[in-house]
Amino acid sequence: MSIILKKEMRLSALLLTYLFIGFAVMTLVPGYPILCGAFFITLGIFQSFQSAREANDIIYSALLPIAKKDVVKGKYQFVMLIELCSFIIMVVLTFVRMTVLKDSAVYRQNALMNANPFYLGMVLLIFGLFNVVFVGGFFRTAYKIGKPFITHIIVTFLVIFIAEALHHFPGLEVLNAFGFDHFVLQISLLIIGVLFYGVLTFLSYKKACADFEKIDL
Amino acid sequence: MDIVEVKDICKTYPVFRLNDVSFSLEEGKITGFIGRNGAGKTTTIKSMLNLVHTDSGEITYFGLPLSEHEKEIKQRIGYSTGTVSWYPRKTIREIVHVTKSFYPTWNEEAYRKYLSMFGLDETRKPIELSEGMKVKFNLLLALSHRAEILILDEPTSGLDPFSRDELLELFETLRERGVTILFSTHITSDLEKCADNIIYISSGEIKAACTKAAFMQTFGRADETLEEIFLRLEREARS
Repeated sequence: MSIILKKEMRLSALLLTYLFIGFAVMTLVPGYPILCGAFFITLGIFQSFQSAREANDIIYSALLPIAKKDVVKGKYQFVMLIELCSFIIMVVLTFVRMTVLKDSAVYRQNALMNANPFYLGMVLLIFGLFNVVFVGGFFRTAYKIGKPFITHIIVTFLVIFIAEALHHFPGLEVLNAFGFDHFVLQISLLIIGVLFYGVLTFLSYKKACADFEKIDL
Repeated sequence: MDIVEVKDICKTYPVFRLNDVSFSLEEGKITGFIGRNGAGKTTTIKSMLNLVHTDSGEITYFGLPLSEHEKEIKQRIGYSTGTVSWYPRKTIREIVHVTKSFYPTWNEEAYRKYLSMFGLDETRKPIELSEGMKVKFNLLLALSHRAEILILDEPTSGLDPFSRDELLELFETLRERGVTILFSTHITSDLEKCADNIIYISSGEIKAACTKAAFMQTFGRADETLEEIFLRLEREARS
């Protein structure tokens, strides 16, 4: 583990952020827009950013014998770690819903989004957008968190609304596949989600490094 | 020998300008950096730590430009301020445990020694410390990684006279060990006791950078204290 990630985990992070990983379990909640779980996980990360700001974390980090871009790297590593831990839980629970609970009535009679690879792809899209809108937005000033988070809320709920609505359109029912139905399409959608996450996070990181380099602390 | 050189740094804000600030710090000396609130002391110090980007000019430590050797230089310097506390709700032990991993030169023996000397308890949190103890905690971090230069931004602000005196005595002890100290303050009486050199800044411009004796001789009138000189110079500048 890099020392800057260790610093993020030990000094900057709130316990609440780790506890909020538990919202990944919302993958199992029937009759609920399960993508909201991804939003709650980002809400947990937001809490750590807020607490770190009050603790003068950014200036402390910038005074350490590291490059300024390493300060940004530490934050991104931490955010990605939380997202990855949550995503792993979501993958496991999605697999449970696709296998053991495939024919469960509470899920079969669910008008809302089903847990399947498309759902996981959408989770990654939400995480990727969070990294751009909130984390990248934060590094434009290194102290303003309100506007980036409100923008994130709007973007995320728009994505959730679209994702929930799509499978109700004729021809798009396959997005809500159960078990291993339409598996190739489903896996392709997950891979697209992975690519979106990777590209969005990488571009956001690069821009955050450039922005953070320019600002006065 | 000059260990730090600040050459012609400029920084323009909408309502303030740091104008061609130049000075140097002598190795093993205490340099007092005086100026009234808003004169440019903190901006200069932040520029020296690369927290503020200057529009022009150059800063070198140990003959190395800060712009190219930031990591290496930050291994060898320490910063303390009396106005900011880091991670107020973490224990000193937690903060130290993480911080020391950034410094290969961290000396656990020195850390224990200063911890005891400053009367700090590892289980306490910065929020529970008095202003003076917060400064000591920052100094503890700097001294435990064997900082050769200490940059202190108003470390005595908000301290009671006894704590201030205690801190000034500590600076003198550190000077005897060869540590170079830059010490910004608007409490000039602090400098009467321990400063070797004086840098005086007013409205973003360096008005003097010389030994304390030379400063008193150049700017002082008969029997004037440093504080009286400072007050008169500021009044003259305003009129």
